[in-house]
Amino acid sequence: MSTPIQATPGAAPTGAAPAHEPAANASAAALTEAAPDSAHSLATPGAAPTEATPALEPAGHAPAPLGPGPRGGGAPARRRAVVRGSRPAGSRPSVLGRVLSLVGLIGALVPPLYLLSVSLMGRDETVAGVLTPATPRWENYGAVLGDSDLPLAVGVSVLVAVLAGLLSLAGGLAAAWSIARLRVVSERWVGVLLSPWLLPPVVAVVPLFLLLRLSGLLNSIPGLVLVYALVNLPVVLWLLLSFVAKVPQELIEAARLDGAGEWRILASIGLPLLAPALVAVGLIVGLQNYHEFLLATFLTQGPESRTAPVVLSLFYGDRIPHVGRIAAAGVITALPPVLAALLLQRRLVSGLTHGASR
Amino acid sequence: MASQTLSAAPPGAAPASPEKGPTAGGRAGAPARPAPGAGRTRRFGRLLLTPALLGWVLIGVVPLLFIVANSFFESTLGKPLRRWAGLENYQEALGDPDAVAALWRTAAYALGVTAASVALGVVLALAVYSAWRRPGALRTVLLVPLFIPPVVVGVLFKQVFNPEGGLLAVLAKAVGLPAPGVLSSADSALFGVAAADVWEWTPLVFLLVLAALLTVDRSVLEAARLDGAHGPSLFSGVLWPAIAAAVASAALIRLVLAFKVFDLVSVMTSGGPGQSTTVASYLIHRVALREFDLGRASVLTLALAVLVTLITLPFIALNSRASRLEEEEGA
Repeated sequence: MSTPIQATPGAAPTGAAPAHEPAANASAAALTEAAPDSAHSLATPGAAPTEATPALEPAGHAPAPLGPGPRGGGAPARRRAVVRGSRPAGSRPSVLGRVLSLVGLIGALVPPLYLLSVSLMGRDETVAGVLTPATPRWENYGAVLGDSDLPLAVGVSVLVAVLAGLLSLAGGLAAAWSIARLRVVSERWVGVLLSPWLLPPVVAVVPLFLLLRLSGLLNSIPGLVLVYALVNLPVVLWLLLSFVAKVPQELIEAARLDGAGEWRILASIGLPLLAPALVAVGLIVGLQNYHEFLLATFLTQGPESRTAPVVLSLFYGDRIPHVGRIAAAGVITALPPVLAALLLQRRLVSGLTHGASR
Repeated sequence: MASQTLSAAPPGAAPASPEKGPTAGGRAGAPARPAPGAGRTRRFGRLLLTPALLGWVLIGVVPLLFIVANSFFESTLGKPLRRWAGLENYQEALGDPDAVAALWRTAAYALGVTAASVALGVVLALAVYSAWRRPGALRTVLLVPLFIPPVVVGVLFKQVFNPEGGLLAVLAKAVGLPAPGVLSSADSALFGVAAADVWEWTPLVFLLVLAALLTVDRSVLEAARLDGAHGPSLFSGVLWPAIAAAVASAALIRLVLAFKVFDLVSVMTSGGPGQSTTVASYLIHRVALREFDLGRASVLTLALAVLVTLITLPFIALNSRASRLEEEEGA
């Protein structure tokens, strides 16, 4: 939230010697102009302390949600700042910038398009040095869909990603609320709780393997869900923390004075305000879950609990791998996360940028 | 700003807030606010923290203790802690030049991949920022690599680098060069894996840096330009201060992710040719699950954990410094 305001004054003291005077003025202006924006997104409609009590009725005065999305967070202030600085004559868009952006665009798009093209090639074409197939071999997709474990594995992957994501969200929101709102422990604990995530997952893999075997959850979907949920819980906590910290304290105090229980406060003030942030963070950990490979290969060996990345990696086990078919399997594996991310990309972007760079 | 006056401590204070020690955490960290039912609130807060603490113990503490214990024993997956072995595992694992080489390779790989991703991500963010007013749609397309599962990225780049008919071979032929066998040569295979890794994760750096750039008020930029700042001086005076913190946190995240690499190696090269792409995660996986030597795998895991910690710590310090600076300037 405070970033759009902080960043501007930061520009003046650190350098910009020639620009000092006007820059300082401009940033002062930005400060005063931006303030109403920030006040707007924080002090939500009808959220003045005196009026706050009815907000307990969930549907009644539902305050504007915090977090990503067109309405929440710093997004409006930011967008306005961009529009406000309408480009005066003399500063044309940089040509070099356009060229480099174009190079980046080609770099980002050519490989996936190439994968699509290869997925429609026959066995001979993948070694013939052609970029596109003469006639698209849709039977590659037919073979993968009708004749392999991949469709089932994609289903398992989606299921595991969603269930584990929901569990992580619940645990991470609870922890974030406890740390940022109730201040049960200092914020330093976020770093402590996040520390296992800093190490490569291979560190935990053998102990987890044995723990799951001990509890009979090895090679099962519940086992994998549980592991993913716990692995990503601190990531949710970390990403949600700044959003939770923005929930207006007056609302909570007012509700408390009115005798609302702590669960009720979390459910009817916290949840609605944080819903957009929860969607964004949930999508991020959902993608992480779907993408995960190392833990999945260790912990799910049977066909009924293998995830899509694991099954895809097994396609290379054939004596003469059919590259076209493997590429088709790759496209099918990538489809659910790419579609989900593109559909919700605006939320995803603000969840990542607000949560990860504070 | 308003948000900071609402809560007792600045929300931006993050993990690295300087004022309270971790031990003082519990009670001293909480603001003195004797409200009715404060004890109940505290109990509720502890309850809410339970799943996170439980997860921390199960995912962080237990595995670490288990690995430390196993490093002193002769252990297999079927029978952990079979026989006390003293320092035998340490001598065997750390006396193996291949294992030590794998550890150094991992460190070099992580640092190299991080540097490349950060450099490319920053350049791309600056390019997009300077060329487009509202980069929304372009940004979305540039993020696509981030959404593709790493195993699929491995499949994709394995074919790109395929000397028989892969994308690179076709391009090389078009300009009259011999097809390079990137993944089949021990000298270049790791660079091939790194290329896929950089391709996948550069968009994250780009996204975080672009978001920081978009907070710069364009009128400040114009004022600086009118005063004659351009190119390098505009960058160092106005843009860099705005993005420094974002670059630091992107670099840290990128480094952590680079140390985790396993899927790309597994799909693209299986650690070969020879040992040339055997990074630590892949080696530990092989020793523990193919050779069933849990003791040696534990020693290697500990060594990797120490290595990761030593290399990550300066980045963490850099991050807390950057966020502290930003807070001071913002205050």
